[in-house]
Amino acid sequence: MADSIQSFVKFVSRKISKIKWQPSQKQTLECSDTFVTGSWDDEKNKICLWHLGMQESMERDEMDDALEPALKCEADHNGDVTGLEYVGSDVIVASSSTGSVSLYKHHTSSQTMGIQYKWQCLHSHGNHLCPCTCLAVRDKTIVTAGEDGKMVVLSAEQKSPQRIIENADSSTINGLVFLRLTEVISVNSSGQLKTYDLRSSSDAPAQTLSVSGELTSLHSVDRHPGQPHIVATGSGDGVLGIWDLRQEKSPVSLLEAHNGPVWEVKFHKTNSDHLFTCSEDGAVWHWDSSLVGASHMVQTQITGTGAGSGGANFSVNPSFQFGGSETLNKWLSPDNSKMEINSLIDDNILPVNSVDIESQTLLCGTDSESIITIRLPSMR
Amino acid sequence: MAERERDIQTCCISDTSCQFGLQSVWGTGNQLFLFPGKNPLLSNERRPATGKNEQIREVQWDIDLHHPVLRKMVNDSHNIFVNLQRQATQLTGAAFHTQILNSSRHYRATQKAYLKDLDDMIGSTRDEEQRQQYMEHLKLLNISELIWSLCEILFIESPVGGLVVPKLLDWLKLHFITAGRLFDDLMKEEQPESKTTYWDTIFRLVLQGQIEKACRLLSLHSARQTDDFQTLINLLKRMPQLSNVYKGSSVAEFDMKWRHWRDECQRNYEEQKFSINPNLETVVRILCGEDAVFSEVKDCCDPWYHMLISKALYQDPTVKACDLHYYIQGCQDAYRSTTRLGELDSILLSALESDVYQVIKDSRTVFSNGWFVAHLTDLLHHCGQLDSHRLQFGSDLQREFLLLEYAGSLMSHHSLWIVGVSYLDHCAEFGRKYLELYLDHIPLDSEKKANKILKICEDRNMTEQAKSICKVMGMRCIRNKRLGAALTWFLRSKDVGFATVLAEKYLLEYSESGEFTNLDLIDYLGPSMLLSNRLTFLGKYREFHKLYSEGEYHAAGDLLLALLQARLAPKQFWITLLIDALPLLEKTELIFSSQQTRELMKCLEELTTEYKLGKKRDGLGFTEARKDQLDVLKLALSRNLPKAILQEGTVNLL
Repeated sequence: MADSIQSFVKFVSRKISKIKWQPSQKQTLECSDTFVTGSWDDEKNKICLWHLGMQESMERDEMDDALEPALKCEADHNGDVTGLEYVGSDVIVASSSTGSVSLYKHHTSSQTMGIQYKWQCLHSHGNHLCPCTCLAVRDKTIVTAGEDGKMVVLSAEQKSPQRIIENADSSTINGLVFLRLTEVISVNSSGQLKTYDLRSSSDAPAQTLSVSGELTSLHSVDRHPGQPHIVATGSGDGVLGIWDLRQEKSPVSLLEAHNGPVWEVKFHKTNSDHLFTCSEDGAVWHWDSSLVGASHMVQTQITGTGAGSGGANFSVNPSFQFGGSETLNKWLSPDNSKMEINSLIDDNILPVNSVDIESQTLLCGTDSESIITIRLPSMR
Repeated sequence: MAERERDIQTCCISDTSCQFGLQSVWGTGNQLFLFPGKNPLLSNERRPATGKNEQIREVQWDIDLHHPVLRKMVNDSHNIFVNLQRQATQLTGAAFHTQILNSSRHYRATQKAYLKDLDDMIGSTRDEEQRQQYMEHLKLLNISELIWSLCEILFIESPVGGLVVPKLLDWLKLHFITAGRLFDDLMKEEQPESKTTYWDTIFRLVLQGQIEKACRLLSLHSARQTDDFQTLINLLKRMPQLSNVYKGSSVAEFDMKWRHWRDECQRNYEEQKFSINPNLETVVRILCGEDAVFSEVKDCCDPWYHMLISKALYQDPTVKACDLHYYIQGCQDAYRSTTRLGELDSILLSALESDVYQVIKDSRTVFSNGWFVAHLTDLLHHCGQLDSHRLQFGSDLQREFLLLEYAGSLMSHHSLWIVGVSYLDHCAEFGRKYLELYLDHIPLDSEKKANKILKICEDRNMTEQAKSICKVMGMRCIRNKRLGAALTWFLRSKDVGFATVLAEKYLLEYSESGEFTNLDLIDYLGPSMLLSNRLTFLGKYREFHKLYSEGEYHAAGDLLLALLQARLAPKQFWITLLIDALPLLEKTELIFSSQQTRELMKCLEELTTEYKLGKKRDGLGFTEARKDQLDVLKLALSRNLPKAILQEGTVNLL
């Protein structure tokens, strides 16, 4: 396996707003070779499905071709694509700046794609439509939010919305992610992170956390795949925030990162010590916290001041630490000097709107009308 | 698509309201707005009312850059452009020159890559009209690559010792591939000499300086063992190679060898060694550089610039770029009868005449999209090929003008405007002004797009534009009754005026309905509330309510009084504040001290006097209900005072 970072730039004649790997099939251990992109800011926007022949090419040892995506099929999309997720293996849900949400079905036999269902006018100001800003999917449940401050809960199998939270937020919700089966996290443009319990009869958030100090907007959110109470956010001023939902009020750490809005943050699904961010400044960063724990643990034992250790003093018996029910998660460690941060695409100039990672292949969708595929060295 | 200046495109507008004339206003880039009417001659002359629905029409014309394949080229070359501009600030001298040359090659590689894409698309499309369109793109892109590569050799590369011929031969080989193709075909034949193309191919190869291939072909001839063949092959093989000059031997050395070799060719020719075979004789005459022979084989070195290079090779292989123009006339005359000189010819002509300006000027007409001239001129500018004294307005403006033109066409595109921004950044003189104007015209379809444009403004310290974007977005939110979202926009631009307006709207809502809206925002304002006094008041007033509802009556009372004393509250809101004090006064527990009670009384007094004055002036005053409330308040205050004095006295006594 190659140990350096390799990348390929594919120009696609449309600015890409969202990029998403097809979820890998649960039965097989193989990685997915298909991903979907959505475009924005064009007269005709499209949802495109791409194939990355990595597996085959790697066997033939042709690394150069391996990273070039090939178009499988495409479908027109009305308005900018503002959110894009898979619902199952061949159904894609896309939210639009026209306030609607559409389900696209990929017909694998004929390699075509078409609209299966469209929820019109989900988001509007009175009579005129307003953009849907983001969506989140868990199983068959889809949650969308719009510039109208509404949150709508849909089921992929049902034509009418399951629930509409009328005044979910007085500022705009920019990002959504499922926390648990019936709970969602939202981030808004006044720097707040809220959780909503979809079962609760109240429209009020279950929890509200906020960045203190100058008002800043939050644009993206993702939760730790293993420990859902750990949440990462990207803000308008380029800061990566790490939050612990068990601690009320404010983020655990704020890491100054990009020189522009962080449009997406993404935890690696299986190597959760790794996180990826992309930004308006044209950079994609790889945050590697795998070394944060290593020597820090020892320090914790000596000083006993680790935040996650609950304030208990482990000065005597080191083995007690290992026997402890919960070790400090690396992302919550107060000492992030061991965090390794890599910039992955240095020669890119225009904004990167979206990233997604599967195994060792990172996808980036940019405003320079390109898809960048990056092959990373194996992760610890 | 590539309108030459003479192909005029028309677009008919059938609208009877236009019978009196049509007026137009420029939009951004490739866009015009048309509306019926005529220019009034006198200022008081009015347009005749047609009584019909008059419409404004938007007319747009496509340029080829908006085609999907060429859009890829736009984005690809954008990277090269920006990188070069970065290098320009960091490197100097030879290192920078290498970089310029690299960029030039990179640009050409881009053109070639998309030539290939277009070629593939021509092969795969079934739509005839589309195919024609692709063919047209292909043709233009081919021409642009041809011109670019010649300019690269003549103006950018400036080879060792000024020797251009070897480079030009490479150029020939790359762009006139017939010779190579014919050669490959013939090599597959058993008896190549029987083919009609045999001798033509040899001439072509020799004319392009591909000597080795010519020899191989000659040695396949059945008569190869005869003396004349052997002599010629021998001569060809001993032809001094210019490429050796790059490997260290001097130009003078080469010149000497060349003269010897040519004398030998000449001698052999004059001795009539090849008189039996006229084809062999033609080859040797080419080697001798005889003027007449080039006209005889002109079909093998068509067009004229091919002949020019062939001629230069055999007549003066060490010719300097600046002397190439001596050959032009003769070569053009050879073809004059058969073909008219086209645009391409005149551009190449100017290039060979080292007339950079003419090249740019003519290319601008041929390639209407601006891509070609903008990038080439930028390269030439960095090379120092554009001397300012030759133009009255200076050479940098020449580059800037073309970049602005190109950026303009990008800015008018739905999606490519973001690329245009980078180009404007590198126009020192007018770029910023243009960008400011363009940014005002980009539609803000969504908050995300607004955020992106805002970032562009902030990066360039365009505070006015940033403020106006926030204002547009904020006003839109207000119209849509999204006061919370509106506030986030005004806080972002630190717009004190609008933040105040919004705070007043919130307060108005409260005083009308008795309930706060957008609490989720107001409660978390933090230090941002300090932006405007009214906003601070709003935040603090809300804090008062929170304290009150949490049962922190003393803190609530202190805060209320502080708000009144600091005069943060608008006068018309004082009454609300004072009435809010009422429940605190009516608590059994003492909340306000005597000192505080006196303060409250003072405030009340001030308010009532002012209203009395107001009533005298314009008849406005309190409603009956308000008056009653104030009476109750007065009563409560006067009851509280002795209570407070008493308690304070008791405390003192204790």
